[in-house]
Amino acid sequence: MIFQLDTSTKKTIGIAALQVRIDANNCNDLKKAFSHWLHYSPNIVFDCSGLEFIDSSGLGAIVSCLRRALELQGDLRLAGLGPKVSLIFELTKAKQLFSMYPDTSSAVASFSTVGSA
Amino acid sequence: MKTIIITKGIEYRWLRDIFPGRHPLLVTLCNKPFIEFLIDFCILAGSTGIRIISDEVMSDVEKHCENGSRWGVEISYANLLPTDNVQKVIEKNSRFCSNERVMVINGLLFIHYDKRSDYRSFFASLPVGEVIECSNGNISLTGAASGAEHQEGAPPLSLPVVDGIDKYYRLAAGILHERLTHYVLPGYNNEPDCFIGRNVVLQKGVSVIKPVIIGNNVQILAGSIIGPGAIIGSNVIIDRESRVSESIVMDNTFIGEQLDVDRKIAEGSLLIDPESGCSLTMEDPHLLSGIKQPTTTGSALQWLAHRIAAAWMIMILLVPYLVIKPFLEWSGLLKTKKIVYHSVIPGENVSLTFASIEKKSVLGTIALFLSLDRFTWLFKVLNGHFALIGCRPVRTDQTIQAANNNLGLYRPGVFSYSEAEKWPENDIDSDIVDHYYAVHSNFIKDISMTQKALFNRINQESSI
Repeated sequence: MIFQLDTSTKKTIGIAALQVRIDANNCNDLKKAFSHWLHYSPNIVFDCSGLEFIDSSGLGAIVSCLRRALELQGDLRLAGLGPKVSLIFELTKAKQLFSMYPDTSSAVASFSTVGSA
Repeated sequence: MKTIIITKGIEYRWLRDIFPGRHPLLVTLCNKPFIEFLIDFCILAGSTGIRIISDEVMSDVEKHCENGSRWGVEISYANLLPTDNVQKVIEKNSRFCSNERVMVINGLLFIHYDKRSDYRSFFASLPVGEVIECSNGNISLTGAASGAEHQEGAPPLSLPVVDGIDKYYRLAAGILHERLTHYVLPGYNNEPDCFIGRNVVLQKGVSVIKPVIIGNNVQILAGSIIGPGAIIGSNVIIDRESRVSESIVMDNTFIGEQLDVDRKIAEGSLLIDPESGCSLTMEDPHLLSGIKQPTTTGSALQWLAHRIAAAWMIMILLVPYLVIKPFLEWSGLLKTKKIVYHSVIPGENVSLTFASIEKKSVLGTIALFLSLDRFTWLFKVLNGHFALIGCRPVRTDQTIQAANNNLGLYRPGVFSYSEAEKWPENDIDSDIVDHYYAVHSNFIKDISMTQKALFNRINQESSI
């Protein structure tokens, strides 16, 4: 997982590129890394363009990340979700919890417009 | 009038890919198999005999439709070559067609018709030739018209093109929303737009919003919302507080709790978005999974008989194997090599020692007489990878015949059915024998076939 900071919108936004697969084997790594990323910014974008598979544990981990970001008055937004991963978000109604964007730049820009924390 | 239904494997390859494990003619549309829509139409058109002709194995279709007595028509089956055209098929089935008027349904077609209309006199009065066509195939007539005149205008008849999952979904949705009264559909239909099958359990707080079709043996748990536009197959469980709308849940599927299935097709653990064509196989069984059909008593008995017989053979042959094997190895009459075969358990392989014994000496003859070359294979029967008698095992570097694989007929055996029959001269002959018995076997037949296979091996010159 690659993490970087974006300051182009006068706000510090963390962008994390998720790996190919998030499942029971690596969801705890994501949770740990997210705790670390929150030190830099409570506003984070997950770049899901490389994410090809997510199971319920992975989904749970992402929801837990969202909850922690919200607790710090921040937000977690998702960008570049592929059709397969979107199916899971739709099926489990997780789509209703997240703000989703077609790419990271629009997700980053969204923090300085509507709904920004 | 008689009807010939011609289907070729190549036409419905896409259906096989999406719904493996069942014959495309048995894929359901609004909980009714494709073939039943065709049979209903043939009967409406006045057919008394229907012949279903395909270039693929139709054992499942035969099992489902039998001789047609359920519909009051005579159904028979025949094969064709992939290269045969309609004319050739009619020639090959000339005895069936005799001199009667014959309707030829060429292709895996779905026919839009209305059960309340008069197709009998319409088809009887039409001239010879093509009646209607689409890119999937056509319907044509041969044989002289009866002379009867069709009084009314042409009844509703169209052939929607079904060549992909999106069109399949739209066709099912179209029937559910607009044409429910046009077809005979399974289930109780006490009120419009609602078909409910046998043994359907709706727990407290379940909402069913019409139009909806629910199959047999369905459990819908508390707080779920079914519909509008839901087609639920048979043997389905929908866990609590889930919603299924504008979706198709195929047979033997479990939908987990608090899920939202909207504009999707769920088939076992496979979730398909028909609009985009995107599909996903779920790895979480609590979200979406297939429901396994219990093994039939006959099948369980068959496996038990195989295991008992294998254990008995191991006990009998253990001492001869331990005594004779070292002598055979020493004299060079026994050659072995490891080969990996496909197991009967889908997706699993099994490594076996392939032994060849030459019948040049008394020891070789005895070893072959006792089938000691297959001795180590018997242990694979005990752990369920092999049957005692079945089809010839297929090496992992070869592919299992699609028909056998899709229909679950690949059941490799220590001994093969083709060894029990003397006539097979080549691999194709052997495949025919293996396939025939894979479809028609039972445990009593297996015992006699094993005896025949053992007896035939005595006469072999070598075990290769």
